[in-house]
Amino acid sequence: MQFLMLVKHGENPGPPPKEFLEAMAKLGEDAAKSGTMIASGGLVPISKSTRVRLARGQVTAIDGPYTEAKEVVGGFAMFELKSKEEAIEGAKNFMELHKKYWPGWEGETEIRQVLGPEAFEQKA
Amino acid sequence: MRYMMIVKHKEAQGMPPKELMDAIGKLTEEAIKAGTLLGNGGLLPTAAGASVRLSGGRVTVMDGPFTEAKEIIGGYALFELKSKEEAVQGAIGFMELHKKLWPGWEGETEVREMMMSTDCAAKK
Repeated sequence: MQFLMLVKHGENPGPPPKEFLEAMAKLGEDAAKSGTMIASGGLVPISKSTRVRLARGQVTAIDGPYTEAKEVVGGFAMFELKSKEEAIEGAKNFMELHKKYWPGWEGETEIRQVLGPEAFEQKA
Repeated sequence: MRYMMIVKHKEAQGMPPKELMDAIGKLTEEAIKAGTLLGNGGLLPTAAGASVRLSGGRVTVMDGPFTEAKEIIGGYALFELKSKEEAVQGAIGFMELHKKLWPGWEGETEVREMMMSTDCAAKK
């Protein structure tokens, strides 16, 4: 089963502490080695992004930042796991890592199962 | 440059029309052939998901559905593109496709540049 993990937090959490980055890099390495992590990435601030909205028959492009958003997606990871429980355990560890190494950080990991087995095509 | 497209809409909109699915299938095939699409997928309803939140020094797990959310993330795509303009044009095209083939659908595509990424699948 594939799971998409989306990490959400306030728009300006500030730079992450060095210890946090190191712990995250190690976690990423371990996950890649175990073959469970398919891809991951951080996203540039929402102030540099654009959203394209369809509403009432009109398509409009709106540049960020979006003041109404309380929390934004700051990064993601894609995993191949055996169960939702395994996904939740992984997300809990990830949040505990934030708690331990990034004092004051608040946010969440959204866990979503991906439809179908072909979700991640290999680049030709 | 890598971009993540995040498609958001109201939960439980019913099944998309076959014409839209066919058109998206064709678009996907073309993008894979062009080498611009690295991966994409639809997500199961939030009822199949969970969120793990760190707040006030506590990590808590909440199972879906995310009933308080006005719009939820329904799908995503990862692209390798030359510019943000190309990414925004792609998102506009995708929303225009919804406008044409799924009357009444409302939602948006958030265009987010990635600042770092690991692509474990490509290393295999």
